[in-house]
Amino acid sequence: MTEVSLRRLSKQFGSFRAVDGISLEIGHGAFVSLLGPSGCGKTTTLKLIAGFEAADGGAILFDGADVARLPAEQRDIGMVFQNYALFPHLTVGGNLAFGLEMRKRPREEIARRTAEVLDMVQLQGLAGRYPRELSGGQQQRVALARALVIEPRILLLDEPLANLDAKLRDEMRFFIRDLQKRVGITTIYVTHDQSEALTMSDQVVVMFGGRIAQIGAPEDIYDRPASRAVADFVGRVNVIAGQVNAVEAKGYRVSTELGDFVLTGTARPGQTIELALRPEAIGLVAGGDATVVAAAYSGGLVDYRVRTAHGRVLEAQAFPVPRFAVGDAVRLDVAAERLWPLA
Amino acid sequence: MTRRAGPLLLILPAALVLTVFLLIPYFNIVLMSMRMPGNGVPYASGWTLGNFAKFFADPFYLEQLGNTLWIGAVTTLACLLIGYPVALQLARGAGALRGLRYGIVLTPLLVGIVIRSYGWTILLGNNGVLNRSLVGWGLIEAPLPLMYNGLGIIIALTHVLLPFMILPIMGAIQGIDPALELAARSLGAGRNTAFRRVVVPLSLPGIQAGCILVFVLAISAYVTPALIGGLRVKTAAVSVVDALIDSFQWPFGSAMALILAVIGGLVVVGFARLTRMKWVRAR
Amino acid sequence: MKSLRAMIFGAYCWVVYAFLLAPIFVVVLASFNSGAFLTFPPQGLSLRWYYVFFDNEVFWRAIRTSLWVAAVATVISGAVGTSAAIFQVRFAGRGKEAVRIAMLAPLLLPEVLTAIALLFFVYGLGIGTKGMVGLLAGHVLVTLPFVFMNVAASLESFEPDWDLAARSLGAGRWARFRRVMLPMIKPGVIGGCLFAFIISFDTFTMSFLLKSVGTATLPIQLYDYLRTNFTPEAAAVSSFSVILTLVVVVVSEKLLGLKIRRF
Repeated sequence: MTEVSLRRLSKQFGSFRAVDGISLEIGHGAFVSLLGPSGCGKTTTLKLIAGFEAADGGAILFDGADVARLPAEQRDIGMVFQNYALFPHLTVGGNLAFGLEMRKRPREEIARRTAEVLDMVQLQGLAGRYPRELSGGQQQRVALARALVIEPRILLLDEPLANLDAKLRDEMRFFIRDLQKRVGITTIYVTHDQSEALTMSDQVVVMFGGRIAQIGAPEDIYDRPASRAVADFVGRVNVIAGQVNAVEAKGYRVSTELGDFVLTGTARPGQTIELALRPEAIGLVAGGDATVVAAAYSGGLVDYRVRTAHGRVLEAQAFPVPRFAVGDAVRLDVAAERLWPLA
Repeated sequence: MTRRAGPLLLILPAALVLTVFLLIPYFNIVLMSMRMPGNGVPYASGWTLGNFAKFFADPFYLEQLGNTLWIGAVTTLACLLIGYPVALQLARGAGALRGLRYGIVLTPLLVGIVIRSYGWTILLGNNGVLNRSLVGWGLIEAPLPLMYNGLGIIIALTHVLLPFMILPIMGAIQGIDPALELAARSLGAGRNTAFRRVVVPLSLPGIQAGCILVFVLAISAYVTPALIGGLRVKTAAVSVVDALIDSFQWPFGSAMALILAVIGGLVVVGFARLTRMKWVRAR
Repeated sequence: MKSLRAMIFGAYCWVVYAFLLAPIFVVVLASFNSGAFLTFPPQGLSLRWYYVFFDNEVFWRAIRTSLWVAAVATVISGAVGTSAAIFQVRFAGRGKEAVRIAMLAPLLLPEVLTAIALLFFVYGLGIGTKGMVGLLAGHVLVTLPFVFMNVAASLESFEPDWDLAARSLGAGRWARFRRVMLPMIKPGVIGGCLFAFIISFDTFTMSFLLKSVGTATLPIQLYDYLRTNFTPEAAAVSSFSVILTLVVVVVSEKLLGLKIRRF
């Protein structure tokens, strides 16, 4: 149950600023995801926390103590690598015992804890197998077990589900989150997959270009993105322009191509603002001056592209009933609460 | 000890061994080739370029050098033509026999060169196995002259150096993504065309490495030409050793060795230039 | 049913394999010759020349010398080559290719030239060919590239994440070397040393030029013998050497379950 604190952390490779002065507080037992595109600095941040790279500036605190001087092997971390990094020359049991042997635990204790953790990841009886004899999903669970059996202060995961096929990935998401809740360990999870981050985390940290773009609960990130970049990266979004007409009692009135809306918040009259609108927030009603340009059925939902009377093409998403076809005339229904002004 | 210095300790022994026993002695040879020849002693005091002059002025030595280079080139070509299919089979083949085949290719390396050359003397002599069989079966009238001449040396050298051609090519072919050939076939290329236009070019790095290795080893070979060529045909390396051990002419022998190394090196560099592949990524 | 083309290809390869084995086969067969002269096919089969060989102290001394030199050279090469390989794969950075070429240099340079260079060197130092310094140095040089190539090859398949994983589990540098790296390179080291031993045992040119008066390694002794003697005794000695090598390779492969790596 460790608290992790990053204070103005930075790391440079040559002239490239991989991590540019980020600060972050992670509470004990929290599951925090670092989310961003390749090259945003999330993996470098993880490596800095683990101790595999040395920071150029800033501090990393575990429970208030600066760990900068500690080499990785002394930070008491548990790490799960993207390609598992299981030792091929050791059995599953050998892999699990490794960390405990480094901590000089007695043999009976190692045996007991190994059996317990195998139970926890539902791989009982496989202690004698070698990694190459296991499936990808099984190897992944061994990697997880190896990191957890040593009861580390924090758990670090570097895109652990990237090499699994879709169905397994879905199952493992719940599995990992479930396990983490039971064990209660502070967890930092790196991913570029926003649905992973949203479904698993207590907090999501969105990163671009070595900097933090937004920190928040999944709903905050999705419904109230801090910037256009965040809105774009997390889910699909339509960005429409709006002109502030007048200030109202509790907010202001803005006119857009989809109509006039009253939004809460502050704005100056005459100001031009950008509004984020999620595809699923656009209601499609038959009959109107917009036209369906494309329709893609994906099982539980239909993704539409609709051209407004002004000629803008917007993305919409709806249940398959009622179903519209390309060429149908539709009206776009939007509630004011679903419009989010972008900074 | 800082963290930086630690790893350097790993390379220190090798650096020492190579510097003391390779670098300095080779430098010494260069020096030796420019010393004055001695009478009854390996060398005398003083410096001269006369040793080189002596070599280039003597048509005997020039012809021998040319002969040696020729033998090297023919051996290389023979190894390439004979060895490529075997390399292909080793790289692509699978199954139980693969281990056996691989072992057979390695055998020449594991059996002493003297023994191998000895075997060739038994095979190639006028009274040797090959000739006796051919005559016995009525295929030829008189025994083929396979010993004590260039042809015998080439045959034996090819045998000795074949593994050095096969293994690099095998390695190169193993590194070729099998999907590439399939892609060519999907685009309409027949089996032969796909092989010719995809596999062969991609195996070029291995071919280049093998050719250079075989050529260098062929022109500097001693034991095999000595045993097969006997007193009648001497390659350059044999001459060098003669000059050093038998006649004690250290400066001249060194000069000869240097000339052989430099000319051989020039041929290799020229070859590498000619066969340079722009698409090969530096590893 | 394989196509005609495949069958011709297969047959051709077998011809080449036969070519590769021919001289060795011939020598071994000739050693069983019951006659006094080296004829092939043998006039009759007998072990008589083996008995002559077993009684010949000269050859046994040469074998002992060869084994001793090979053992010492292998130990030295093994240590030097392994640490150099670890350096080249893990720590060399931009110098990686340069280190590789340097370590392979003794293989690429003519053995004859290296032997001569060493000869002048030891004479220049004043020790000449007395003692085994020059000879051992030569054997170490000849075997070094093979150890290096084998260990480097097994190291290439070493994933850096294994080292990071070990660190994350609390392993210090020595523990990582002992428990993670060493087991990985063990096959490469053993394979390389095996190769080195055999190469040293069979090497001729280096021993020829650097041996001290009175000592001879087996290849040298054989060569001397072949120049003047035409009995099949030399064939018996050769066969013995071949079988010895084979036994060593097969036994270590079975015991240690490793493959001798290509270079």
